[in-house]
Amino acid sequence: MNLTRQTLIATTMLLTAMGPAIAQDVAREDTVIFDLDRTIKDPENFNWFTAGTKREHGAHQAMWEPLFILNYTTGELDPWLATGIEPNEDFSEWTMALREGVEWSDGEAFNADDVVFTVNMVLGNDELSEREAANIRAQVASVEKIDDLTVQFNLTEPNPRFPTENFGVRIFSSFLVMPEHIWSQAENPATFAFFPPIGTGPYTYVSGATNRMIWDRNDDWWGAKVGFQDLPAPQRLIWLETGGEESRAQLLASNQIDASQNLTIGSFEAVQAQNPAVIAWHDDYPYAWPDPCARQLEINTTVAPWDDPAMRRAVADIIDRTQIVNIAYEGTTVPSETMFVKYGAMQPYIDAAVEAGYGLTAVADVDAARTAIETAGYTMGSDGIYEKDGEDLGVDIHVNSASTEYTRTIDMIVEQLNRAGIKAKAVPVENGVFWGEVLPFGSYEMSYSWLSCGSVNEPWTSMSRYTTDSVVPVGERSPGFNNTARWNSDAAAAYTEVVDRMAKLAGDDPALPGLVAEAYQHLDAEMPFIPLVQAAKLLPFNTTYWTGWPTAENAYNHPAFWWGHTHQIIHHLEKAE
Amino acid sequence: MTTHNTAGVAKPDLTARQIRRMKRFDNPWRNPKLIWGAGLMLGIVTLGILGRLFWNTDLVFTGSAPLKLPPIGFENLRGQSGQAGFPLGTDGAGRDLLALIVIGAPNSLFVGLLASVIGMSIGIFLGFSAGFLGGRKDDTIRILSDVMITIPPLLILVVFQAAFGDVSLTLMAILIAAFMWQSPTRLIRAQVLSMRESGYVQMARLSGASTMHIMFREMMPNLVPYLFGSFIANVTTAIVTAVGLEVLGLGPQRIPTLGRIIYEAINSGALIQNLWWWWGLPTILLGLMFIGLLLINLGLDEVSNPRLRKL
Repeated sequence: MNLTRQTLIATTMLLTAMGPAIAQDVAREDTVIFDLDRTIKDPENFNWFTAGTKREHGAHQAMWEPLFILNYTTGELDPWLATGIEPNEDFSEWTMALREGVEWSDGEAFNADDVVFTVNMVLGNDELSEREAANIRAQVASVEKIDDLTVQFNLTEPNPRFPTENFGVRIFSSFLVMPEHIWSQAENPATFAFFPPIGTGPYTYVSGATNRMIWDRNDDWWGAKVGFQDLPAPQRLIWLETGGEESRAQLLASNQIDASQNLTIGSFEAVQAQNPAVIAWHDDYPYAWPDPCARQLEINTTVAPWDDPAMRRAVADIIDRTQIVNIAYEGTTVPSETMFVKYGAMQPYIDAAVEAGYGLTAVADVDAARTAIETAGYTMGSDGIYEKDGEDLGVDIHVNSASTEYTRTIDMIVEQLNRAGIKAKAVPVENGVFWGEVLPFGSYEMSYSWLSCGSVNEPWTSMSRYTTDSVVPVGERSPGFNNTARWNSDAAAAYTEVVDRMAKLAGDDPALPGLVAEAYQHLDAEMPFIPLVQAAKLLPFNTTYWTGWPTAENAYNHPAFWWGHTHQIIHHLEKAE
Repeated sequence: MTTHNTAGVAKPDLTARQIRRMKRFDNPWRNPKLIWGAGLMLGIVTLGILGRLFWNTDLVFTGSAPLKLPPIGFENLRGQSGQAGFPLGTDGAGRDLLALIVIGAPNSLFVGLLASVIGMSIGIFLGFSAGFLGGRKDDTIRILSDVMITIPPLLILVVFQAAFGDVSLTLMAILIAAFMWQSPTRLIRAQVLSMRESGYVQMARLSGASTMHIMFREMMPNLVPYLFGSFIANVTTAIVTAVGLEVLGLGPQRIPTLGRIIYEAINSGALIQNLWWWWGLPTILLGLMFIGLLLINLGLDEVSNPRLRKL
């Protein structure tokens, strides 16, 4: 036996020995591979209460289950771990009924103790800073266990939207209940890593790295035992970081991923030409699903010269939304008129703001902008850039580099600003850095994001994100990404007062449109952020191995598979014939 | 059989063709490699100059043209054919490829030349100083360049430019030049060391010439062909480094360069959409540029070293 052969056999033996320790083999056709658009900084930390990529890598799509899931088609809350929630007369107390027979994957029962424990933990610890935790802290005064399957929430003030806002995966995620028997051992819940993690979902953690997360089906899942849902068909789920547009497209074309993040329409058409099994929300142009998070230019209102509302207005006037739609989105979306998403249920509020004269135009008004900039004391330099006291008028725009959609839009805006005389430049940042360090701490002048996202059927949620009570100094974390603009003027105070009045009204109160118009005058006057275009997400799904993906025809819910409602998608998947 | 020229000196037996070539080599600058190389480079420069005069260079900006049009005579995936207004096609953000190349190719060349000029100048100065002056100065310069030569330039430049954000072409050239001086310094120092003891240097020294005079008036002319070759090689390296940074998206944002065009193409899925003109044309131009520089370098080698001239 020669040396090479010896080495080969030794290696093979070693690999065979290591194999099962890493993961058992699961066939490709039993696996669903989802696209992950960011690096997992700390793959062995599952403390979702603190910032970082700790949920969208499968944790809240496969392992942790929400209490309810908002159905975007029906507008109803589909019950999940809870079976119902009822308010008292003035919406200040809510009583939630939990499902019977729910178990954590280690066999412990899930019950009211877990809910009460998790809520109390969040109430008692300001360092648990994620949006959903901050929301609960702001709204809940106390929580009590009525019996093993009933919990009562006593709110700080009446809130008719309480369940949708907190437990229904309305946007991205919801308040996720953690197992008391594990978290009660943690000395400090803000630093507890919760590793290895457990949940109530049909999948359990297998392994993770900075670029992937693997979950295997728990055949002993409670849901199948109590008849809540059948066991989902996929044996294994993988979230895989894929990189840019080109690699996403190639992986889809060669069937190496099953669900991809946003592609530009050109790439999507090219992929479909190579691989007809790839589908999207619509069968035909524009293919894309209207994401509820309308795009906007965020402005840090504490940084000169953008602390001057007239200068922010000038930037808004320079922006040509039609050109953004045509160039950056290749016609797949429409310009925004207000901060709100253009869903049917939102139309009365959009109309209210537009009729009051606060709607944004689809094209630019560069002359108005020039007048405003010159009034502010700038003169046009010989290089076509405004200057004052020998300094160019410039702006750095931070942009998340994770998707071509983002960078192309900012390239377009940078171009428009430069042509109008503002020396703008794009600063591309990695996804994790963008959300973890740039946006929450206000370390930017302008930035591209969707921070007024929230409302889908009532106006308060989006508007409440710019109230003055969320203002923190630059360098401190904005609570739940609210008012990262740090808008804190007299107009902001007047705006906050109106929005606070709106908070007490039910989502369908007839007084709401009038209040929207009243509040919107301050946004229009001061422009703490500039709405750009509606978001269109072209999310390709591959039907080579799996069918049952959400589409406009089969709209059991929407297709944003990085959100917590993805449980429904996974339960709908069927093996392709 | 031998042939005799007018002076009666015997020459080896040569065919008429070889004699013709010999005559051409009487003037070493009429070297075909050199001429081809210089021709290619001149072509790129001319393209830049003529293009600026006769083509609308505002088409390099985002949104100034229709998206993804193919060059004339081709069709893109959507079945659109090329338009005369955009003869080399357009990219995915509505920029005209011809305008991009007209502006971008000379820009890439400019970065290479400037970085090399700066790097060589530092290298020449330090190399002569170290070699000629010796002692502590020599030690300092030698150790400095030895240390610097071990640092991988791209790694440092990526960090630098990421921190600077949007850099200008000149700043980018200066940053690259900071990694271009070490090897000229070392090589020139070695040459100077061997030259220092030669007769004409001793003579100059005895006749009281200043150090600067000896270094740059007496010794440097002897190194010119060598310096020239080294300069051209450095231009190539500088362009490769600059393109490397640009392809990573770290170059200037609103100033077109060949590397930036390729970066945008990769970033926007140009390969899968079969927009070959978007990444292909800048790649071809870069290829031509490197071939041109290589030919010039080979030509210069033959000019300065007659033994390399083949018949």
